[in-house]
Amino acid sequence: MTDLTMLGVALIILTLSAVCSFKFRPAGLIGAIVALLIGLNTCNYFPYSIFVFLIGFVNLLSLVTLKSEIKGVDYALVGLMTLATMYIFNTSDFAFVLAALVLVSVPTYILVMLREGGANVELGVKYISFMVLATVLFLIGAVILFYTKTAFDGFLYVLGYVMLVLGLCIEIGVAPLHEWVPDVFASGDPIPISIIASLAKIVPFIAALWILVYTACDLTGSITMFTAVLAVISMFTGNIGALTSKEPARVLAYSTVAGMGYLLTCLVVVSKPELIYLALTGGLLFLFSNAAGKIGFFNAVKSEGAYSILMFILAFSFIGVPPLMGFWGKLFILITLAEMQYFWLVGIIVLNSVISIPYYVRLASELGVSWEANLSNLICLVVVIITLVTVLFVPVEWFFSSMEAIAHTVGIAVLK
Amino acid sequence: MNEWIFFLLLFLTPVVSSVPIALAYKSKEWTERLPYLSVFGIFVSVLMSLYIFFTMEGQYSWPWLGPELGINFVFMCDYLSRYMGVVTAVIAFFIAIYGLDYMKGDYRPSWYWFCFNLFTASMLLVVYSDNLFLLFVGWEGLGAASWGLIGHWFRDDDDIAYVGKAGRKVGPLELSWPPSSGGWRAISTIRFGDVPMFFAIAAIWVLAGNLNISEINWESLFMGIGAAGTIILMLCFLMGLFTKSAQVPFSEWLMTAMTGPTTVSALLHSATMVAAGAFVFLKVTWYIEPWNLHNVPGLELVYTIVLFVGLLSGLYGALCGSGMLERKVLLAASTMSSIGLMFAAGAASFWFHHEIAGMNLALLVGFWYMATHAFAKASLFLVAGHLIHATHSRFLCGGLEFGKRIKPAFIATIIATTFLIGMPPLTAYWVKSGMDEVMEHLYLHEPHIVLPIILLILTSLTYSAIMARFLSLNFIKGEKPEHEHLEGGGLMKLGYSMMVSVLFILLFLIFINEETAGFVHAGYMSMSFVVGVGALIAYLVALYVPRISIFSRVPGTFFNDRMYLPYLNDYITPKIGFFISYMVQEFGNRGIDAFFNTKVIPGLFGAISKGIRKIQIGYLNVYVKIVLGFVMLFLIIASIGGIGL
Repeated sequence: MTDLTMLGVALIILTLSAVCSFKFRPAGLIGAIVALLIGLNTCNYFPYSIFVFLIGFVNLLSLVTLKSEIKGVDYALVGLMTLATMYIFNTSDFAFVLAALVLVSVPTYILVMLREGGANVELGVKYISFMVLATVLFLIGAVILFYTKTAFDGFLYVLGYVMLVLGLCIEIGVAPLHEWVPDVFASGDPIPISIIASLAKIVPFIAALWILVYTACDLTGSITMFTAVLAVISMFTGNIGALTSKEPARVLAYSTVAGMGYLLTCLVVVSKPELIYLALTGGLLFLFSNAAGKIGFFNAVKSEGAYSILMFILAFSFIGVPPLMGFWGKLFILITLAEMQYFWLVGIIVLNSVISIPYYVRLASELGVSWEANLSNLICLVVVIITLVTVLFVPVEWFFSSMEAIAHTVGIAVLK
Repeated sequence: MNEWIFFLLLFLTPVVSSVPIALAYKSKEWTERLPYLSVFGIFVSVLMSLYIFFTMEGQYSWPWLGPELGINFVFMCDYLSRYMGVVTAVIAFFIAIYGLDYMKGDYRPSWYWFCFNLFTASMLLVVYSDNLFLLFVGWEGLGAASWGLIGHWFRDDDDIAYVGKAGRKVGPLELSWPPSSGGWRAISTIRFGDVPMFFAIAAIWVLAGNLNISEINWESLFMGIGAAGTIILMLCFLMGLFTKSAQVPFSEWLMTAMTGPTTVSALLHSATMVAAGAFVFLKVTWYIEPWNLHNVPGLELVYTIVLFVGLLSGLYGALCGSGMLERKVLLAASTMSSIGLMFAAGAASFWFHHEIAGMNLALLVGFWYMATHAFAKASLFLVAGHLIHATHSRFLCGGLEFGKRIKPAFIATIIATTFLIGMPPLTAYWVKSGMDEVMEHLYLHEPHIVLPIILLILTSLTYSAIMARFLSLNFIKGEKPEHEHLEGGGLMKLGYSMMVSVLFILLFLIFINEETAGFVHAGYMSMSFVVGVGALIAYLVALYVPRISIFSRVPGTFFNDRMYLPYLNDYITPKIGFFISYMVQEFGNRGIDAFFNTKVIPGLFGAISKGIRKIQIGYLNVYVKIVLGFVMLFLIIASIGGIGL
């Protein structure tokens, strides 16, 4: 069977299980897990797919605690997002990439409104307004950029680039376009928010990188400064904003703003496509560690605390303490920037990591409680194990080679 | 041939042989037996030093931190170290034998023997090291061991170990120091010099790329850093030597180092510690060859400073000794004086190029004076220890009757003092004659200054007088001791008898050695003879009148109080330290605290953070305005920037 057929089967299982879940709730969960397993089998890049699978799986698991009105369908939505995220590297087709972006984005519109005993419509409106704006900007930007690939026009290229980056910024929450993030994170239910903060960030990043690299031209080198400046604003806004925030969910919101700033710096690599595997390694490891940490922390917020040691390990991963996964992510981002001669940006990232120490430690000590055997602690344990994978397997070789292979797939020569 | 085995035995045997007693510190039975093993360890060092003396010459090197770093086990068996190694090992061995008796029944023999042997091994390392870093390791070993030994009687429970009269106050300061304070004063003073010395060594390493004293190209090093660089580098290096050798104004620790057991004082004053400073100066000067470097700017100033620090320390020590009432402190002051003369002689080599057997006479004078002084002074200290045991008093006391009953000590003192003061024709006379010639040279030739020879003569005369005073007030004209305990002490007598007898061997060596022929030649000169006779007269006068009552209050007390230099050490310097510490605490720490911890940075971050959070008012229309505003702004900027591309 081809990949596409398999994907089709997975989608059908998802749909059927969602329908069945109206009669039998656990059907949704079972169906989503089966679909994910099929997706895992389909995906060509092993370390990447297993990470995405694990994140999707933990997201599904955490949804168990949420007693929403559409119980059952929410599993299918997360399953759909995970499948789209897994599949993105299987294709070099522009239309599929954009479809994946939409498939990851749209389910969050519904997820964000979930809460126990009703729907958080006000929050939904706030979130959807920004997401629509983001998607429109992103898609138009992407279309313009693809147009310039066939008929080059400098003005259009710059316009397309800026629109795409702005769309991405709104989508993932980069300052100064981050206003929705603190409100949504603080007033939504922690479980769906943990999905938005983890799984939903991967595809937009890959899609943007993919499109920008594919459409890169002579002008790219000079315009990357725009991305770098936005990244710096976002890092400082997020980290400093988090310093005086008291509510854990709000601290996590600002931490997301800062984190997306780190991530955005990876986009400066687009003017040197031969280095894309470095940016992919850094960006994805960062996203995985970010996802693990956000899931852990939001689950702890939901259950009003989790095991203290787990909380601290996640906090240290966020700060970037070696040899946790967060460290490797930041390290490869820094290597990418150093290769691109953006040394000042390296300094700013290190400085921001230092600024972030107090609030992460505070967050861990506030959310940390003694051990108790419950689902929340189990989820935290799983994400901590994900974070610790890099302790056992230093990701220089296996992750790297996988990223090089990916870089080949998207049609970019890799300098050895 | 595996020469390394000899060096290994030389340095390690004293330390290894004292490990058992250190480990057996709880067992009274073993700590009474094991000192013999420690002494045997030093005996092995004596054999090794003799073997090296007779058979080995030149540089021996083995890799340590890596040849590319230039920090290796490099030993130099040259004239100075071969002689000095034997002097150190033999003196340590004789003192150790004496110590078997002297330290019997002590409350912590393990501590004593381990530190004593470490002290000896460290000095041997300093003596043979050619590599400055390796030398510094031994140098620090000396510092640590001396701290342990000076403060050996750390309980401060016996007045016999104090320095100064208990309860005597002058102004705000009590001029009395217990052993615990003695150890602290020693280590704090020498640290004050060791730190700049360490930086100087580091600077030499960086600038010359080599730390082997004999291989460094000193001329190009000095020329490379200019006059100011040379002066700063050498003064930093000399700080270590001056503090270790207790030259003015760093002499205070030496006086209160007398709180340690007498064996320690003897070793400290003869062949280790204070001698280490002067020895390293002679050794470094030996290879710098300053008499050939008159073209180097700044070097003359450095050597002038050393010359006068040495001469002034010589006179200061001798004068203080003339007022001293305590046996060991008198000897300590005289040691400081002698060490000063060694520095002065070494420094004079800058202007004095006269060579014998390829060696500079001024350096030979400095070194031979060190050797003579070592044996004589060690003998006197050992005698002083015996006297303290016999009279239960650390103050000068003992008449002729007492002297007759303790004949070996009496005779040893007569020999040691007469051989040391420079009276013709005994050992030190020939060496001092050489020194007279050197200082006279500074007057008659370059740099035409008369002060050195005047200071030398004054020091020599005063020095003779205080040696006679020691003899007279302990054995001839002193007050009758309150206690007399003359039994036993066989090993003690053996110790100082052997020690003092070496002075005859040295006299013999001066006459037969080729390189010391210059001393003999100088001894026949009228100038030397006049100074020698002057010393003899001063000696005899002081022997007859050891106390002049009208001088006993002023300046006697002034000299006994070491010209109030303790104020600099115990009052002024700590006050400066406390002031700096106060300023750092009040202004520095608080300022830093306010900047980083309490006000400026936290305030700034707090304000910005609140500003960032202020826009989160919850209204969608406001957010949309902000975001759309930014989007429009960026698009306009992009459009303007993109036109024409």
